[in-house]
Amino acid sequence: MDNVPWCEKYRAQCFEDVKGQELAVDKVKVFLKMFPKKKAVALHGPPGVGKTSLAYAIASEMDAEILELNASDLRNKAKIGEIVGNASRQKSLFKKNKIILVDEVDGIASVKDRGGLGELLGLLEKSAFPVIITANDIWNKKFSMLRRKAELVQMKEIDHKVVSAILNDVCEKENVVVSNEVLTSIAIKARGDIRAALNDLQVLSKMDSPELVSEVGDRNKEQSIFTALQHVFQTSKIDEDMLRVYDEVNMPIDDVFLWIEENIPLAYKGEELCKAIEALSLADVFRGRIRRQRHWRFMVYEYFLLGAGVAGVKDYDRSGWVQYKKPSRILKIWLQNQRAAKKKTICQKYAKHCHISTKTAMKDFLLLKVILQRNEIRNTLKLSDDEVAYLDKPISN
Amino acid sequence: MSEHFNSEVWTEKYRPKKFEDMVGQEEIIKRVKSLTNSMNIPHLLFAGPAGTGKSTLALIIVKQLFGESWRENYLELNASDERGIDVVRQKVKDFARTKALGDVPFKVIFLDEADALTREAQQALRRTMENYTSTCRFVMSCNYSSKILDPIQSRAVVFRFQLLEKKDIKKRIDLIAESEGLSISADAFDALYEASEGDCRRVINLLQATASISPNLTPDLVNTIVSKAKPSDIKIVLDYALSGDFVNSRTKLLDIMLKESISGQDVIKAIQKEVWNLPIDNALKVRLTEKTGEAEFRLVEGADEFIQLEALIAAFIMAGLGGDKGDLKGGE
Repeated sequence: MDNVPWCEKYRAQCFEDVKGQELAVDKVKVFLKMFPKKKAVALHGPPGVGKTSLAYAIASEMDAEILELNASDLRNKAKIGEIVGNASRQKSLFKKNKIILVDEVDGIASVKDRGGLGELLGLLEKSAFPVIITANDIWNKKFSMLRRKAELVQMKEIDHKVVSAILNDVCEKENVVVSNEVLTSIAIKARGDIRAALNDLQVLSKMDSPELVSEVGDRNKEQSIFTALQHVFQTSKIDEDMLRVYDEVNMPIDDVFLWIEENIPLAYKGEELCKAIEALSLADVFRGRIRRQRHWRFMVYEYFLLGAGVAGVKDYDRSGWVQYKKPSRILKIWLQNQRAAKKKTICQKYAKHCHISTKTAMKDFLLLKVILQRNEIRNTLKLSDDEVAYLDKPISN
Repeated sequence: MSEHFNSEVWTEKYRPKKFEDMVGQEEIIKRVKSLTNSMNIPHLLFAGPAGTGKSTLALIIVKQLFGESWRENYLELNASDERGIDVVRQKVKDFARTKALGDVPFKVIFLDEADALTREAQQALRRTMENYTSTCRFVMSCNYSSKILDPIQSRAVVFRFQLLEKKDIKKRIDLIAESEGLSISADAFDALYEASEGDCRRVINLLQATASISPNLTPDLVNTIVSKAKPSDIKIVLDYALSGDFVNSRTKLLDIMLKESISGQDVIKAIQKEVWNLPIDNALKVRLTEKTGEAEFRLVEGADEFIQLEALIAAFIMAGLGGDKGDLKGGE
């Protein structure tokens, strides 16, 4: 199975590859020419428009080595001083150019990481190499100093036609056939977020049914769950806010379960992950009891475990901007059912003939496939042409 | 090769048609036969493993009772396929509304896999049984009678089917082999029997599948078919888990469950069997088996069985981490 996300696999390699951001690319070229008049360039714009990609493209155009700092690395003065201080003062061992990339500075909390932000500003003064900063919201109050020191390059949401073209390109490379209609629909729904579009396409490509685009949700509606997830997965403190974290979320509780389930591995690793899954599992037990016994008071525990339970597995706050994923499990189940529709009707016919349950027949399907090779049996069961074709497909289900 | 070769599904073609044709379960057959001969049967509950003759016996009863017109007087329902008790009730109602044809004053309803019904559904079924008791007899089958409510059990005569013995299964296989012109070596029969776990329906299915390749059955040929029909290994899911790879573990699990139409219960059962074969020390095996039991319990109590299986995967990951403060990395 190919597990590399397409948005990583098809990251831009050079300026040419950075599609739909011609203006930004030109500005960056000017910045590089003028360096070191200004030490830093701040690429800012909404998620998925290609900020990090552009940074990598710059590096490869300059044949430079990238020194990347995540917001989580900027936790304290000492660390940033150590990493960046050394890097910017010494020439690279192999005389290679260097670029310092400070990705997702939004994650630096203004209070807690004040040292980090201050150190970053200091670094801009000292650095012998260009510094690239990416941010979602450069107009935030905490960045007022940064705005003065860095060249600002705005990156706009990518036009859906451009997104569509990129998707088309990826489809060709991946050897996937998706109708233009579907591609356009994904592109429009992504609202200029190329990463989201590629993620959706990757999910869709694993299915045969193009009518599924409606499943690729409207990203606007997802904002409320994103906010809640961010709070649960990044905050360690359990307070009033945490207890009411799902109040504003505009979706049924069952969907919240799925969102949490999908994203736990993105937020946690190791023991924390295990504990978070445990909290989810207990929440589900209460959900089952509510359903069966109509004992609604259990909802208190259900919500508590989903919020505080999942949040409480860590002992310090997390920062950084995480692209939470849409739940994929229900979609996969639906798809498999679509694909296995023929399998089911075949099993129903067989089950009736043999006085067993359809479920039993489904379980024995691998064996039945061999038995059902014979035309006489197919005729006995009155299998349709479609069903026969399904049985004859070399790799079915 | 006769021209009838493979012309039908053998499990049906060779399903015993008379009490005398059945193998094993001698006591049960004797008693059921005498009940049937009196032309008035009570409600019956057949409990026992798959492929031991429960459905076959039910069919023989109705054929004996109704002769040629058995189809008009017999309704077969499968509790695991009917979506709710309402469907069952409606079908029973429609069927029981008209009087039985012929000499027998009642019709027979065969409710297969009755243990698939929830407690609530069984309560409702109990009422239905009472309401139609003058016009209908229920024959129910289940794997475990403990899953059937006491009030239902007390209204029925319970028969417990045993796994068929090897010699009994051999009788049926020899009969089929003779009729279909197959030659089956003793080793090949052993291989068939081993793979079937005493389930006669499965033995015959395996036999037919193997015979579709060649009428001369060898152990190799049988094993080829067996491995072809073997569901994917749940072990790979556990291997991922023990190595700490949660995402691949759950992806693989969902894959297997979807592609092979197996339930959460089946997965738990497979995991529980697999734990003892894992390359881990015994104390850990004990802990993980306990975790597996806990997962099965939560699966019954909870709403979403996949979440409970994920929790079990997490338990295996903790075991892989040594259960102590392992690799603690923050969010990405």
